Amino acid sequence: MKPPQTIDCHAAATQLYEYLDGELTAEVEAAVRGHLADCAVCFKLFEFEQAYLAFLRARTRARAAPDHLRRQVFESVLYDKDRTKSE
Amino acid sequence: MSTASSDSRRAFDTEALPHLDTVYRVALRLAGDQSDAEELTQETMLKAYRSWHQYKSGTNVTAWLLTILRHTFINQYRKAKRTGPTVDVDQIESYTVFHQVQEVDPEGRFFEQIVDEEVLRAIDELPEEFRETLVLSDIEQLSYAEISDITAVPIGTVKSRLFRARQALQKVLYDYAIEMGYIKRVER
Repeated sequence: MKPPQTIDCHAAATQLYEYLDGELTAEVEAAVRGHLADCAVCFKLFEFEQAYLAFLRARTRARAAPDHLRRQVFESVLYDKDRTKSE
Repeated sequence: MSTASSDSRRAFDTEALPHLDTVYRVALRLAGDQSDAEELTQETMLKAYRSWHQYKSGTNVTAWLLTILRHTFINQYRKAKRTGPTVDVDQIESYTVFHQVQEVDPEGRFFEQIVDEEVLRAIDELPEEFRETLVLSDIEQLSYAEISDITAVPIGTVKSRLFRARQALQKVLYDYAIEMGYIKRVER
């Protein structure tokens, strides 16, 4: 097994969002995690950004399509004439 | 023929209609106006229904619907609208807000005082390509690969847009929090 890669603060910071979004390869993710375990400054930055993303999700996710729109969509599909013509 | 048609109708009802909320939420942020968003949603779903035979069952239906939504928006709704202020994303430096607040509020508790409407208003001020990327990622939780498919740009572009959009939005919300007295500005 290869020893885990080591990275510095700059390299960790450039991967920050990819790390928090779960978009890194297992190898790079392990390298970032290793750096965070050793560096209190980066650890705090990552925690701050993680809290920010959680806050964005919590503030924006609640909206659902209004009932009248749901009904309109349902009816327009139900009574659509063009569909059968194009089939 | 009526059997084939009612089968595909059923498939559309089960596979596509449950994503109406997603289509509506993205439409709302793209169009910036409730009545345009409703019209855009309606049109997207009808187009999707009419081209349902082109959808490959079992593939990503959210991405497919959002691609139709995006094309409809670009072709019919984009022009003229949206003359409001936009945030200059080119002025954004990395992690400025954290560096400002790390001694007074390193956990970002001030964010918690900002209400939904204010966050959505700030998102609406982002330039379109940045707003769209942030909405697909942070509101709809899509992966970079899905966003890249929908917006037709390479993954590298998705990453850089997302980075700049998140940092620009954070700065706007931080300035708002200072203005509202949720946090004190730290002179550094």
